[in-house]
Amino acid sequence: MEGLITNLGIGFHVALSLQNLFYCFVGVILGTLIGVLPGIGPVATIAMLLPVTFTLSPISALIMLAGIYYGAQYGGSTTAILVNLPGESSSVVTCLDGYQMARQGRAGPALGIAAIGSFFAGCVSTVIIALFAPPLAEVALKFGPAEYFSLMSLGLIAAVVLAHGSLIKAIAMVILGLLLGLVGTDVNSGVARFSFGVSELSDGIGFVSVAMGVFGFAEIIGNLEDTEEREIFVKKVTGLLPTLQDLKDSAPSILRGTALGSFLGILPGGGALLASFAAYTLEKKVSKNSANFGKGAIQGVAAPESANNAGAQTSFIPLLTLGIPSNPVMALMIGAMMIQGIAPGPQVMTERPQLFWGMIASMWVGNLMLVILNLPLIGMWIKLLTVPYRILYPAILLFCCIGVYSISNSPFDVMQTAVFGVVGYIFVKLECEPAPLILGFILGPLMEENLRRAMLLSRGDPTVFFQRPISLTMLLIAGFLLAITLAPAIRKKREEAFVEA
Amino acid sequence: MKITNGRDFWAGLMFIAFGAAFMIISGNYPMGTAVRMGPAYFPTVLGGILAVLGAAVLFRAFVSKIPNPLAVFPFRGWYVVVGLALGVVAYYTQPPRDAVIVWQIGHTLLSGGAIGFLFAAFGPRPLWVILFSVVVFGYLLKPLGMVVATGALIFGSAWGGHEFKVKEVTILFVVLAIFSVIAFVHGLGLPMNVWPSLWE
Repeated sequence: MEGLITNLGIGFHVALSLQNLFYCFVGVILGTLIGVLPGIGPVATIAMLLPVTFTLSPISALIMLAGIYYGAQYGGSTTAILVNLPGESSSVVTCLDGYQMARQGRAGPALGIAAIGSFFAGCVSTVIIALFAPPLAEVALKFGPAEYFSLMSLGLIAAVVLAHGSLIKAIAMVILGLLLGLVGTDVNSGVARFSFGVSELSDGIGFVSVAMGVFGFAEIIGNLEDTEEREIFVKKVTGLLPTLQDLKDSAPSILRGTALGSFLGILPGGGALLASFAAYTLEKKVSKNSANFGKGAIQGVAAPESANNAGAQTSFIPLLTLGIPSNPVMALMIGAMMIQGIAPGPQVMTERPQLFWGMIASMWVGNLMLVILNLPLIGMWIKLLTVPYRILYPAILLFCCIGVYSISNSPFDVMQTAVFGVVGYIFVKLECEPAPLILGFILGPLMEENLRRAMLLSRGDPTVFFQRPISLTMLLIAGFLLAITLAPAIRKKREEAFVEA
Repeated sequence: MKITNGRDFWAGLMFIAFGAAFMIISGNYPMGTAVRMGPAYFPTVLGGILAVLGAAVLFRAFVSKIPNPLAVFPFRGWYVVVGLALGVVAYYTQPPRDAVIVWQIGHTLLSGGAIGFLFAAFGPRPLWVILFSVVVFGYLLKPLGMVVATGALIFGSAWGGHEFKVKEVTILFVVLAIFSVIAFVHGLGLPMNVWPSLWE
């Protein structure tokens, strides 16, 4: 416990430095901004800003990028409540009751409870990270290549199981991602694989290009394809503070949402999106008057909004302790760490305690900023929503292009991103989820490296993965997850869970 | 046998094609042994798995109960042929570094046309208009500078949308050009030309 306080002390010392406060502020503001705006998410934004982070110190860069992710969870709820459009995919369920509340003239309390729930969840999950990350990192330090390979397999399979849509397609997307990740010079032999003699490709396909093309560009094209009418329901929001009764009604929901969200965030494949869906479903189940859901029940706003913030933050645990991304945003964070020359993994905590604890402390600071900023600034965010999409998307595109170009000052990267835009569009049309692809892409080289090492150490005996207890356990869990997902009863439930909300 | 789920059909074919391509290209690299894996080992195994999964998805397309039309998105086969033809010509007419300017510009236009046709083969208008503007931006930025490239991107991508109001887009262009010159070139110090490099 004492160690924890000392460590958090280091963390706050770092997070409260003037420079880091500034980048935390920039991060949460940007996060809220893109959270409010439908049609651009944290993945695209972080991808866009990756090149810029090159000029910052590692800790400032990571603080800012983290701020974007959890800031987006705050912003997303504003749009969901006022416009009935999810500003962020994780606030899809907030639309259901939040918008109904707005129509009943209770937009203020809805926004208020969302912010309060998010703040509470943010505080709790910050403590959870501080408590659970160090012991987990210690275990991970003992991992050998066999354990790492099994862990990554487990991570990828869990990510696929928890994702929605067809399981088999998701696994295929993971493998395609792994393969694309292998493009470029092979570290062991120096052979430039799959580069077709193109010198740019011998360094590998740019991670930013894949992420921005598949998520950013494909999303913009999708938005333009189906024209949507945006109508803002409430022009002026008054009385943000929920009544005492509101608070009483939603307190248990906030607690449940936070608990569920924190747990789901840790799981590979988890994060904000899954957390909010699950929390809404749970609330509906436990509520005494579940008939009210969908008609402006405040619990239907409080629970998912707490859950998505908790999930967004605890999904940093596997990243910080194991170096394994649990969702595309975390994959981008790994990209940012690599740009800074930091190898993600359990050694980050011991070798760079300032980075590790500074980032954790900054999350609490950022959450505080969000509550203080967001409530008074809601008027400004509403104004922003009146900007038509036809003005927004060229601007978004421009920033994306400048970002991609500046990675290595080459038009080739821009072209590559555009190609992945086409690919991303095709994926969407064929109902192939791009998120598993990104996870596979970032893990591809790591998996190959660990597989090679494990096989070398075992002198070519593939049973090594089953002989080591930790490795075996992880493979068994992975197999179990696959088996239950394929079981008809669970399969039906899984589909229901995603359809219902 | 009838295809019921068009999306699964194409997705299956896509996975098989990718899997096979990675396996075939891996054939050029040393395989190694299980103890010392060569550069071809892992991609060959993965490519095989991908192709098998693709086959399963393809099979499902015939037995699926979810009906989806075979035409999932607009596809123009002729554009692919034209694009590839232009691309081949462009590949074999690459100008040397000291070639006359007409040759260089001609080659650029040729490659641009190839890319344009290949993009235009898929999907709705916004797809290819916007992505083509993106590519044009990338290739204009160095020789013609930020202002011209931004103009190409903004006017191009706005034209790809539903409504195109000249006045509005012009204002947007001016604002964004000024902003990006100040923020990116001066503020962040990215090494980019503001004006065509001939002027400086």
